[in-house]
Amino acid sequence: MNFDKLFAVAKEKGIEDLQVYYSKNNQFEVEVFKNELEKYSISDSARLRVKGIYESKMGTVSTEVITDDMIDFVVDSIIASAKTIDSEDEVFIYEGDKEYVTVEGLLNPSLDEVEAKKKIDDTMQLEKSVLALDERIRMVQAFYGQSTSNVLIQNSKGLKLEKESNNAVYGVYVIASDGTDQRTGIAYEQSNEYTDFDLEKIAKEGAEKAVSMLGAKPCDSGEYEILLTNNASSSLLGPHLSMFSAESVQRDVSLLKGKVGQQIASPKITIVDDPFMKKSTKSGSFDDEGVATQYKELVKDGELTGYLHNLKTAKKDNVRSTGNGFGGIAPTNFYVKPGTLSYDDAVKSMKKGLIITELAGTHSGTNPISGDFSLQASGYLVENGEIVRPVALITVAGNYLTMLQDVTDVCDDLKFGFSFIGSPSLKIKKLVVSGN
Amino acid sequence: MLSKVLIKKILDAALTTNADFSEVFIEDKFQTDASLLSSKIENVNNSKVFGVGVRVAKGYRSVYGYTNSQKEEDLVQLATDLAQSFPGEPVGLEFELEEMKVGSLHKIKRYPSDVSIDEKVDLLKRADKAAREYDEEIKQVAVRYQDYVQTVWVANSEGTFVQDTRVRTRLAINSVAMNDETKQSGFNGPGGHYGFEFYTDVINVEEEAREASRIAKTMLHADECPSGQMPVVIDNGFGGVIFHEACGHSLEATSVAKGASVFTGKKGQKIASELVTAIDDGTIPNAWGSAEYDDEGNKQQKRVLIKDGILNSYMIDKLNGLRMNDTPTNSGRRESYKYAPTSRMTNTYIANGESTFEEIIAATEYGLYAKKMGGGSVNPASGDFNFAVGEGYMIRNGKIAEPVRGATLVGTGSEALMKVDMVGNNLLTAQGMCGSASGSIPTDVGQPTIRVSEITVGGRKGSN
Repeated sequence: MNFDKLFAVAKEKGIEDLQVYYSKNNQFEVEVFKNELEKYSISDSARLRVKGIYESKMGTVSTEVITDDMIDFVVDSIIASAKTIDSEDEVFIYEGDKEYVTVEGLLNPSLDEVEAKKKIDDTMQLEKSVLALDERIRMVQAFYGQSTSNVLIQNSKGLKLEKESNNAVYGVYVIASDGTDQRTGIAYEQSNEYTDFDLEKIAKEGAEKAVSMLGAKPCDSGEYEILLTNNASSSLLGPHLSMFSAESVQRDVSLLKGKVGQQIASPKITIVDDPFMKKSTKSGSFDDEGVATQYKELVKDGELTGYLHNLKTAKKDNVRSTGNGFGGIAPTNFYVKPGTLSYDDAVKSMKKGLIITELAGTHSGTNPISGDFSLQASGYLVENGEIVRPVALITVAGNYLTMLQDVTDVCDDLKFGFSFIGSPSLKIKKLVVSGN
Repeated sequence: MLSKVLIKKILDAALTTNADFSEVFIEDKFQTDASLLSSKIENVNNSKVFGVGVRVAKGYRSVYGYTNSQKEEDLVQLATDLAQSFPGEPVGLEFELEEMKVGSLHKIKRYPSDVSIDEKVDLLKRADKAAREYDEEIKQVAVRYQDYVQTVWVANSEGTFVQDTRVRTRLAINSVAMNDETKQSGFNGPGGHYGFEFYTDVINVEEEAREASRIAKTMLHADECPSGQMPVVIDNGFGGVIFHEACGHSLEATSVAKGASVFTGKKGQKIASELVTAIDDGTIPNAWGSAEYDDEGNKQQKRVLIKDGILNSYMIDKLNGLRMNDTPTNSGRRESYKYAPTSRMTNTYIANGESTFEEIIAATEYGLYAKKMGGGSVNPASGDFNFAVGEGYMIRNGKIAEPVRGATLVGTGSEALMKVDMVGNNLLTAQGMCGSASGSIPTDVGQPTIRVSEITVGGRKGSN
């Protein structure tokens, strides 16, 4: 599609300002199962999202057919959409910031330099490595995936920004069985530097997670001291992100409303939104609205310092956008800052407690409005600093903010999930556990 | 849409090596989304989706690729690239595409394209008004509207050539009740394989909106749920999510064929209480998860999964059928051209039994009544499941007592199925979106009221 023509037609039909957001994505994925290629997928796709201001309202449209034939459809849809909006919020097409930080290394050529065949062979080797580790491992699925994306933002106020990035993931899904009990483990690493991947380490982690859970049973109900591992903690942070969004605050559906400057978590907790982190697809110098991104500590030593803003919420609160206008409001790389305690020392320091390694159903068992959660969990029972046995089919319940206040220590093992939400392992005073 | 000649060219290009099957999936979809918040229309968006997926297979091994290009050279190149995964001589398949069959099982009265955008957003306003007027403690209401017309064409090297059009619409209401102490939300999201007639002939918009507010208000005044093991009465409708998650996924060939499911190799064996008969039916007229053809171009079917407690059938797509040496049940589904199809549920439910709702409650001395279920998830290898209870009550002395909130049910699918000890006669279905290997697809869940003799209930109150 000829964007100049699109801008001209839009202007002619009475659209005051217009912005296009064009994204293109190439993916390559393989999966190996029983020494055979189970999945091999290649793709390229693109999408155009256009928004425009018509009679002071913002109309939007999106299309995957990006040809000149679609120009009238795009413009007419924007006008029809704008006409029905009755929200009185001020809307913006942004003229741009004076400066944008240059984020190095978002696109790493090493991923494309390595041939597909080598990636497939490495994935096959990964499966073999896992199977060789323990005879109780029944089944392994090893996978590799990579994606390269291009983004272009261009608007009628003269702004034009481009970003190109890539990323890859290696991982294993492991099923172990001792004849009566069957358990699973998953492990993966993400990077855009091919030599970063330590496949032996991934294999070991995946195998260990599955095998060490064999024979897991519920523990007794009661209140336990908890060590929430990095994986479990980041999976629990995800569904609670909306608390930090100014949109939720302004709608009065955030527990953090009116709490800026207050202690909302243990002084050991600092929560960061870092758009400049290396080797992450979430990194970049601008958001979807074209606003420059910035590093910020939303919670500093337990004190709430602010919220995530886009242009609309910033205007309402009379502050500057924090550059989090990603389809509404979303963080970039969002994580709990690591402390200094090692995971092993954290286990040793527990007299009687539970290590929670995995939380299931975090999309349904949490309530970001109230902060209450009740989730299926698994992990290990600890007595006198030693792991006694694996535990499964229990639930842990609590309130997310209360839990953050009850954090007694923060480990040094920061780990990011697939969507670049991260956490180190956290020691927590207590949570209610339901089991036997 | 691509011409039949071009489709044939793509299928042929995919067979230039040693592959023995090729398939083209074309999707053209037009979707309208609208949302309301704080009683104002916030967003209205049209979106046009178009793409082509190509699958090439040898035996049950397959490769997949997709693009949104409509250009012949790009599409033939994609097929040729995929074919390189099966090096060797062509197997010499000769075929012609049959005359295109057009799916028309589900009658649509008012296509979304014939309805003005004003009429659509008016639904949002009506729902908002009804939800707010339900009670003064309802302080926030968010409503979303969606409709789409998805037309797919599936053609393959067996000559199959079908077109199927799916028209779906859904209205989702989320009410938030607040007092000084807490905030609680209630959700209701009816939908179906319908055009706009859904909102005049099938549901009452105001009633559906009030239902979301009723749940929010009830939960605002609920006590925390106690934890422990107890009998649980799971109500009809969305209560069926327990079967969907805990057993349905483990009956999909995706996990059965690889031996990753607890139900692998158990056909003909007792896997549930004899009170349980469970069905997956993709043919129910105008149901949310229905279509005339599946996404591999085969007619949807009604599958009796469990008959009186005995495992009768899995849900099987074409390639997994080859892998597990069992007849496909035409269960291949996918979210869009961006996914290769695999075996998925459609409208899945537990069939009616004989007890009445009143009998089930009266027969329960102490337990939890889960009137509305929230979402959940399951690990198909271990069968461990978890579900949130959206609206719950304690049962004491055979009577429904105080409302409780924050409950989660956890257990193992195979055990829970065995422990079903009462099945009601009030089957009802409800709509959900199911996420799995081939993306997020509309599925109905359903059941009559059932009782499970013992499930672990997790709540914040601690054990009694």
